[in-house]
Amino acid sequence: MANEEAKSVTDTDRTVDQLSSGGVMFRVQDLDLYYGNFQALKKINIEIPARKVTAFIGPSGCGKSTLLRCFNRMNDLIDDVRIEGKILLGDRDIKDANMDVVRLRTEVGMVFQSPNPFPMSIYDNVTYGLRCQGIKDKALLDEVVESSLKKAALWNEVKDDLGKNAVKLSGGQQQRLCIARAIALQPTVILMDEPTSALDPVATGKIEDLMETLKEDYTIIIVTHSMNQAARISDKTAFFYLGDLIEYGDTDRVFSKPADPRTEAYITGRFG
Amino acid sequence: MTNDRRTLDALTNKRGMNNQRRLADGIKDFITYLSTSLSVLVLGAVFVFVLTRGWQTLSWDMITGDFWGGNFKVNFTETLPGTFTAPGSLPQDAYFSEKYGFAVRDDKNHEKKDIMVLLYLDPESPLKTSVGATAGPTLDQPLSAGIGAEIRKITYVNDDGAKKSAGLLGKQNAEQMVFTLDTQSVSVDSMDFQSSGGGIRGSLAATLMLIGITLVIALPIGVFAAIYLHEIAGKGKITKMIRAAIEMLNGVPSIIFGLMGMTVFFPLTRLFGATTPNILLGGITMTVVLLPVIIRQTEEALITVPDKLRMGSLSLGATKTQTIFKVVLPNALPGILSAGLLSISRIIGESAALIYTMGTFVVDRPQLNGRATTLAVQIWSVMSGEQPNFELASAISILILLMVLVLNVSVKMITASLNKKWKE
Amino acid sequence: MSNVRDRIKPGAIKRRQVVDSIFKALFTAAGVLSALMIIIIFVFVGWKGVAPFLPVYGGEQQSIWSFISGMTWRPDQNPALYGVLFIVINTLISAFLAALVSFPVSVLTALFIVKIAPRPLRAFFTTVVEMLAAVPSVVYGVFASGQITKIVDTVAGWFGKTTFGGNSLLTVSILLAIMIFPTITVMSITSISAVDRNLELGSLALGASRTQTNFKVVLSAAKSGIFAGLVLGLGRAFGEATAVSMVAGNAMTGPTWNLFDITRTLTSTMLSGLKETTGLDYDIRFSVGIILMIIVLLTNLAIQYIKRKIGGVTND
Repeated sequence: MANEEAKSVTDTDRTVDQLSSGGVMFRVQDLDLYYGNFQALKKINIEIPARKVTAFIGPSGCGKSTLLRCFNRMNDLIDDVRIEGKILLGDRDIKDANMDVVRLRTEVGMVFQSPNPFPMSIYDNVTYGLRCQGIKDKALLDEVVESSLKKAALWNEVKDDLGKNAVKLSGGQQQRLCIARAIALQPTVILMDEPTSALDPVATGKIEDLMETLKEDYTIIIVTHSMNQAARISDKTAFFYLGDLIEYGDTDRVFSKPADPRTEAYITGRFG
Repeated sequence: MTNDRRTLDALTNKRGMNNQRRLADGIKDFITYLSTSLSVLVLGAVFVFVLTRGWQTLSWDMITGDFWGGNFKVNFTETLPGTFTAPGSLPQDAYFSEKYGFAVRDDKNHEKKDIMVLLYLDPESPLKTSVGATAGPTLDQPLSAGIGAEIRKITYVNDDGAKKSAGLLGKQNAEQMVFTLDTQSVSVDSMDFQSSGGGIRGSLAATLMLIGITLVIALPIGVFAAIYLHEIAGKGKITKMIRAAIEMLNGVPSIIFGLMGMTVFFPLTRLFGATTPNILLGGITMTVVLLPVIIRQTEEALITVPDKLRMGSLSLGATKTQTIFKVVLPNALPGILSAGLLSISRIIGESAALIYTMGTFVVDRPQLNGRATTLAVQIWSVMSGEQPNFELASAISILILLMVLVLNVSVKMITASLNKKWKE
Repeated sequence: MSNVRDRIKPGAIKRRQVVDSIFKALFTAAGVLSALMIIIIFVFVGWKGVAPFLPVYGGEQQSIWSFISGMTWRPDQNPALYGVLFIVINTLISAFLAALVSFPVSVLTALFIVKIAPRPLRAFFTTVVEMLAAVPSVVYGVFASGQITKIVDTVAGWFGKTTFGGNSLLTVSILLAIMIFPTITVMSITSISAVDRNLELGSLALGASRTQTNFKVVLSAAKSGIFAGLVLGLGRAFGEATAVSMVAGNAMTGPTWNLFDITRTLTSTMLSGLKETTGLDYDIRFSVGIILMIIVLLTNLAIQYIKRKIGGVTND
């Protein structure tokens, strides 16, 4: 039993890791989502490519963040949510009752709208996820802290003071710490829910640069309100409106030749 | 325009109206001042009353002394002399025994009779090892003379092995008694002393024991219940019912908790050897009294922990339990602390529930599974006798008020800092 | 970078899930246990209090009718007489007298603290009210028994009456008035603070003075909370035990209408002469407890009713 489970765990890890750039990471099929009686997502079908940046855009309340939270099942935390349809990660439906949600969340990391470092040291923030998985090997943790902070482009700023309370960092640094914290678990996917909306332009620039390098190793899905940001950093763009996926395609194409008039109206700033 | 104005003035007879209104307003405002000063007056009256009636009685001896005074005869488990040095702080008229490490002085009691008062007792002194020598519950139980006790007689063994008496009963004053003991004794045998009583040591100890036992039971249950309500339970009907049930507990008069403790929990404490109302039973009962307080305080602290921290933790693959213990609770700690302090304050002030569950008999050496009184119940106990002892009751009241007010101020300060913490 | 994912052992995952379920169960158990307490109180106190009226009680079985309608409480007689009606009436009288004194003072104090007092005074008086709330009831008992009794005795002298050392209905009522004052005041402060500012501005804009606005608009907008406070205060007055029993005097018959005569409340009955923990004299206290619980329960229902019916215009 234990053996079998160990095998299945490594197996799934491999299927996901083997995906090279362009393979399909998530396959969403006929997804409906209801908050009580309100339908927030309507028959969504979308395929998210591996090791690319996919941007979700659309006006507030269009369901883009809701869809994002489906990928790591954070919607479970909200009462009265009902989801129908399929979300396949590899060949597993992550909505399956047998799915280990906690484990899923180590594979699908998330960065939130406003930085949310825990009020503990930088070191403890980065190692939090690993410790929760029962990893206590100090040498390994040290190594992961360094490599994660380096990947998040924060190492040079904090390497001398890893014991510092994370809430004392600047907003931009906090957000990069949150990225480092997610990376430390070596996820395959990183979800970003308007990660720069609470940051100043300089800090935003740093995070955008960071995404460029991160996509070599991770599949990134980002929800953003900024058209410019989507155009700058994403490979694919999906436009949502009132719970419908209106248009999805290569970013260059969506921004230069939108197929749907609503997309065009939105990206040219006529509503939002 | 001016015409209109004039008409209005004429209609309302403006000046008169204004004066009348000002007078009415003034009177109304004045009665609010009056009402408010009344509350200050009452609080002042309570304080002044307990201070004037209790201040004289309040002393260190009262705090550390036994409630039950009387004559005691004690033996010693350690009888051989040692070598002791006198502490520097002894008064001029004190006599110190270098062999047995105690100091006494001559005095007169309120009946103008000669007495000999124990002023100092070295921690290593053989006199400290006294045990009750008379039949009864104190036989062979530790029973030491406290500071202020009146020594009547110390029996010693001399070189010839004969037992001799020193002290007032042997017609010796302090100087003579100490001299006799230091020069002629080989060992001490027994001692007669009289203690004045009226102390609160037993109740103080029982109060502390009650606080300890109650917090040990109530804090985990209360905090866990708050976690259930705020972190686990949904917003369904059942949660609402649970909330309402806990809220109802808040309105139950504390004397009812006393009744409930006796019927529901007394059988439980029998397992711990209790045959009468006891401190353990008081603790379990106070747990029920305090649950709504602890749950509310803790929940308020949980509410102040931002949701984004929980989200962050869960998104990193932590389980709910890990999130609660690693992120939520550490940040809610000040709230839990204030729940604890508030509980202590309630335990110190509680009386009705404890009269039923711990009894009203003041015990000098309280045991967890035996009768005892807290400070508040001791007040009730000395007040409800034939001759109410206002002085002692007021002295204890001063102590209780002091403790309760300090605790409440601390809670207020903690709450203020907690609210500030997440507001930046 | 080492592959940390290989280090996550499936056994550890299982264990974490088990620990998680265990703790969730513990949290739930604590919540349910806390909620059960109120039911346990009702069931156990109720059962033991009803027992003396049932045939199972044997030779000393009491008549429920003479208990409920009785005007005499003589545990010292043989056979003992246990009639609770006059005690209920006494309890209600003393609590209502207390509320009569305390309610206006509390509301005016709350109004002063929230609307009239300058800021530094506000903090001071709030602290005074909070301190009054924090004083343990037994301390009030000592104060009542040492000071209020004297005052009442003196006042009785002016009317040519004598008292039993000052223990009397009036003393109980004054004591209770003091004890419920912080309860009503705190509730009133909360509900007066919650009054919508726009209402006040509206009144001021119509030319009403500050004081007129305070008394006419603010108080009436806050009346739901204020009356809930009053009922909460009454509930506390009904249930207050230790302090009351120090000055009630425990009359054997009643009801007591004379302010300077001794009285007997439900709680003072439950505490008086408590020695044995078995027998009819002990068990009958549970029956008195049931009556007290019913009264307090009705009081709680009244609060719910007031909150729903009277309503007011507040910001919460």
